Amino acid sequence: MAYTREVLTLAVEIGEMMLRNGAEIYRTEDTLKRILEAYQIEQFDVYVLSNGIFASANEGSSDACSMVRQVPFGDVNLGRIASINQLTRDICSEVCSPAQARKRLEECVKETPYPLWLILLCCGLGSAGFCYLFGGNLTDCLVTVPIGMLERALLLFLTRQKTSKSLTNVICSASAALMSSLVIGTGLALHPDKIIIGAIMQLFPGIALTTSIRDFYNGDYLSGTIHLIDALLTALCISVGVCLSILLIRYLGGGVIRL
Amino acid sequence: MILIETLISFGATICFAVLFSAPKKELPFCGCTGALGWLVYEALVQDGVSKVLASMAATAALTILARCFAVIRQNPVTVYLLTGIFSLVPGAGLYYTTYYLFIGDRYQLAVKGLETFEIAGAIVFGIIFGFALPQRLFHRLRRGD
Repeated sequence: MAYTREVLTLAVEIGEMMLRNGAEIYRTEDTLKRILEAYQIEQFDVYVLSNGIFASANEGSSDACSMVRQVPFGDVNLGRIASINQLTRDICSEVCSPAQARKRLEECVKETPYPLWLILLCCGLGSAGFCYLFGGNLTDCLVTVPIGMLERALLLFLTRQKTSKSLTNVICSASAALMSSLVIGTGLALHPDKIIIGAIMQLFPGIALTTSIRDFYNGDYLSGTIHLIDALLTALCISVGVCLSILLIRYLGGGVIRL
Repeated sequence: MILIETLISFGATICFAVLFSAPKKELPFCGCTGALGWLVYEALVQDGVSKVLASMAATAALTILARCFAVIRQNPVTVYLLTGIFSLVPGAGLYYTTYYLFIGDRYQLAVKGLETFEIAGAIVFGIIFGFALPQRLFHRLRRGD
């Protein structure tokens, strides 16, 4: 494989991994440029969007090559972003050949994620924490733990079934609100609103919103707009889900359960 | 009271950081950004400052802390910022807006909807202010480390 091609492939793959795991545009573009510079590619152009990477190197010479990657939205994985950051740092301080870098990139992908039970537990505890912060009492928090866990399990299941993101959000927020109102029906807890807020916090598009702001701040208006629309749509889906379940409860409960 | 809430915010932020697969070593730092955000927000609100202004100040404080951690720990600022911001995003506002929209209380809908929008805007400006500080200031932290 020609050197230029090898380096460009490596750079684009690193960029793809960053985008997929939730890095912002400016940082991805900057990383690509730094890698290409570190490997002494003299002439190159890089253009990154929230869903794609366009890159070319040495266009004027005989080993010219260019690459396009389509990058769908993925799950945010901050651990990978951090380890790629470290990898880039090593590449730029020139202690890492392209072949070695590729090997380390593959290792980054393989890094063991947190076990499922821990993720579920954290989801439950986190939801309970937010339920408390937004004014729930201790009973409300205790009730929120299983609701948050079940909701996460449902979310993971739907994602694995490749259900569309909007539908997943609608179903998850609807089920969270439904479970909360069922608990209210039993008379155990008192603040359905706080429980629902705690439970929908994990669906809230905080990451899309923050990334969008940072893209706008760095002048990447197109990607910022894409992330902003993503955030607004997610918020809308959560709203729709909550509405649906309130509707259902009203209809079935016949006014017995008040939300 | 505010201390307990800050502690809970610390814990909740760590829990959510796990959901986004933050590196294990960085979890306490993520928790700190979340806790600081909540501390500033709650202290200002209890002091009579409006929710919107408090959100902005808290986000700015949180962003600056995230940038400090990023320099000291040599990690992307994203790791600390994305996880820390969760204690400030207007999740409650979103719920109440939906609720009042649904039951048809237009007055409350306008109040809550506007408030949610304003808080989101305040978070935007908070982050922008936090990033407006020049990176040079943060590099000094490394030398002291």
